[in-house]
Amino acid sequence: MTAIRITGGRVHDPTNEVDGEIRDVCINGGKVVSDVGHDARRIDARGMVVMPGGVDIHAHIAGPKVNAARKLTPEDRRDDPLDRTELLRSGTGGLVPSTFATGYRYSLLGYTTVVEAAAPPLAARQVLAELRDTPMIDSAFLILMGNNQVLFELIRESRGAVSSQLRDAVAWWLDATGGYGVKLVNPGGVEVFKQDNGNVHSLDDEVPGYAVTPRQVLEAIGGAVDELGLPHPVHIHANNLGVPGNADTTLETMRTVSGRQAHFAHLQFHCYGGKPGGQPRSRAPELLDYLASHPEITADVGQVMFGPAVTMTADGPLSAALRDLDGGKWLNHDTEVETGCGIVPYRYRAGSYVHALQWAIGLELFLLGKDPWQVMLSTDHPNGGSFLSYPKLIRLLMDRAFRDDQIGRANQRAIRRTALLDGLDREYTLNEIAIITRAGPARRLGLRHKGHLGVGADADVTIYHDRADREEMFATPRYVIKGGELAVEEGELRRSDDGLLHSSSARFDPDVVRVLEPLFGDRYTVAFEHYPVRDPALREPARIVEAGP
Amino acid sequence: MPDVAIGPVTCAGCGLLCDDVRLDLSGEAVRLQPACDLGARWFTERVRRADDAPAATIEGEPAEVKAALVRAAALLRGSRRPLIYGFEQSTVEGARAAVALADRLGALVMTDTPGDPWPGAPALPLRGVTTATLGEIRDRSRVVVIWREDPETTHPRLLERLGFGAGSPAQRTLVVIDDRDTPTAARATLRLQWPRERDLAALVSLHALQRDRPPAPSDLDAQLATLMEHVRDVPHVAVVHGSGLGAGDGGQRRALALHELTRALSHERHVVTMALPRAAGITGAQDVLAWQTGYAGSVDLAGGHPELVVSTHPADGVDLALRIEGAAAPLPAHVAEISLGHGPDADAGVWIRTAAPGVEAEGTAHRLDGVPLALQAPRAGEAPTAAAVLTRLLTEVGL
Repeated sequence: MTAIRITGGRVHDPTNEVDGEIRDVCINGGKVVSDVGHDARRIDARGMVVMPGGVDIHAHIAGPKVNAARKLTPEDRRDDPLDRTELLRSGTGGLVPSTFATGYRYSLLGYTTVVEAAAPPLAARQVLAELRDTPMIDSAFLILMGNNQVLFELIRESRGAVSSQLRDAVAWWLDATGGYGVKLVNPGGVEVFKQDNGNVHSLDDEVPGYAVTPRQVLEAIGGAVDELGLPHPVHIHANNLGVPGNADTTLETMRTVSGRQAHFAHLQFHCYGGKPGGQPRSRAPELLDYLASHPEITADVGQVMFGPAVTMTADGPLSAALRDLDGGKWLNHDTEVETGCGIVPYRYRAGSYVHALQWAIGLELFLLGKDPWQVMLSTDHPNGGSFLSYPKLIRLLMDRAFRDDQIGRANQRAIRRTALLDGLDREYTLNEIAIITRAGPARRLGLRHKGHLGVGADADVTIYHDRADREEMFATPRYVIKGGELAVEEGELRRSDDGLLHSSSARFDPDVVRVLEPLFGDRYTVAFEHYPVRDPALREPARIVEAGP
Repeated sequence: MPDVAIGPVTCAGCGLLCDDVRLDLSGEAVRLQPACDLGARWFTERVRRADDAPAATIEGEPAEVKAALVRAAALLRGSRRPLIYGFEQSTVEGARAAVALADRLGALVMTDTPGDPWPGAPALPLRGVTTATLGEIRDRSRVVVIWREDPETTHPRLLERLGFGAGSPAQRTLVVIDDRDTPTAARATLRLQWPRERDLAALVSLHALQRDRPPAPSDLDAQLATLMEHVRDVPHVAVVHGSGLGAGDGGQRRALALHELTRALSHERHVVTMALPRAAGITGAQDVLAWQTGYAGSVDLAGGHPELVVSTHPADGVDLALRIEGAAAPLPAHVAEISLGHGPDADAGVWIRTAAPGVEAEGTAHRLDGVPLALQAPRAGEAPTAAAVLTRLLTEVGL
């Protein structure tokens, strides 16, 4: 392992309350250390900005859903090939890059850790295999549990309360798959869609055949995750995504889980006023008010960026609605017992009222929010746009003149229905950018070795030229150090290493299999004994993050 | 089953990958529980392999594995246009190693059979598809349509696993569209018959009926109307299809018409499709190709990066073929071949014996509905896996 001293850079390390101080960062053995010897390699970072490596709390990069999107959209990658080199595998880019291209491009962007936010547990083997083929970034994945028929049975038995069986079942599932956290997508609604194209519309709609409601799923599984002390709280894609008036559902969902830790995914898609079927308006300020008084709840924004996107979601009914709206390609896949999947290639247009409103609501969430630790950067890649658009999004937050210019190009009827024309002059500081792109996500994920530069942290460091054009600055880091080794230099990858998988572990009563096995046998077409993934080639090496208070 | 029964294990005899199988290895022929003739033959061929078979051959003569690797690497290095194909019995691990080698060589990778009539570019990227895993269809589909396939022969336990075994609910309808008298057709609740050449017209007419726009009158009208009555009556429908519809001339148009129809039907009810692959390893190989290159099907890496192959004769110009755990394709005589597989292959210039996945070696395979499953090794052997051989070849090639 290389010893490195990064000298003279302006360091932004919010976790350790370092805000732009000029100081050295020392690295040895893959970790940040207090000092290194004189023979250590020196990186002259004078005039540059030093931050921890980026941490993406919510993206879609691996698994059957992502791979189906690759198959659905070959034209998206045709003009974006990556040539093989002596060091690198070839691949293709576009909105849904091949696995190798995904790892390389995140690394070139200064990101060193990425969370796949929605993995069907039944497909864990594929998720793990794809992540093993995604170099340069450490990873983790969240397993989908919001429409799991086996868990529905346990929730029905407990009448919506958190039971020991439910806690054990959640912990067993993480153990069986290598997952890191728990994701709930449109709880109850996906199951109803798979039955007969239906959906749930309120937290108290009953899922036919199971006598459970979305509220019970939120309370029971969210509560189980909280009581297990998993490193990342329950990660919620709330009901009624994209539906005008869904802010009521979102607020009700927040009230349902309040008092417990919870993270809300792509909040922008859940902030709409108006009535179903009508035109949406922004209710972002109300959501932010609620967050301000509930520090136990965090969110990532899910910013949409004008241009092409690929919507991919476990929320099957949402995808079917987009199919009808768009009329273009549509892929649907139903996974037994557990979840659904829908994919629709999409384009956000600045001239569209709805798209401009979505864009503006995302910016409202960033700019009106009081606490950057609570509202984090994401585009729900590739749903709101590619992760490659993060530099432009950062510029929108840091450069008011640029933002005003972009606002002027968007549908003005939509913009007028937001706070963006109310003299909103906030410009993010570099420290705030460091919070929303690395320190905040790492803290919320419970990744204590990530997102900061304190002694003992993983030596994941990104060094930027301090350029006035923030988009250019964040698009091409001068250096990226991953695990203590120089990975990127001036836009060129210098090595190609495997990333480290992060899994979580919580104690459970092994006898829970006596409860689960009969429930599996009635539902799955996979033998219970073959369901867990134990193959070391897929599960190891991994950093296991233990649950606990 | 006697006490010596092994299992449950996963059977890779077909794309169904039944993982509830118990094996009786006590007799000459392997017996399976639940019974499956295809699966029993598949296991027997691999379990009863002659122990005196060589580990490798060069030009049909027994050789050391090392020598065979050196020879294979020399052939690959000297090839102007290598092809990698087969994958019928491949694991995901094997396919990952194969695509890694193809990337280094700049090879053409085909998961379809070279030389088969070209059906046209894949239909899926044109409009999409709606699919589901086995359990979804078993538990929800009240009408299951089998379109010109004979799973009773090719995937013998499919109907049982879709809920049409003993004691299946009477209110479910099994529709078979086929003008051949097949074992599957014999099990149909509703049988519809027209020649294959009429499939496209039938699909277009069904689409028109779905939109309440009666098509031009034809002799299929009564049958199509009956089918639509069954479909309209239920909230969940599945259509099983495969090469019977999508292979050969015009296959793309027929597959596209099917997906347009199921998409249109999906507005009023839940409709899913399920494709039957030609072998157990194909689905996994296509998935690996998609995640490593961005494209499924056939991919050309000759240009230094992946390009989706959309061509009537993609294997034209190939001068060397590396066949991985699959049957030989009808390639021109001048094309030398390297073969990796569990059985001797006298026709190949170089053959290296690899452990049979699911019998001699563990691994991962993707079921026909995409579900990834573990393969076990009930008779673990000494032979290396294809993944291991391909990784050694990658080193040996040294490009």
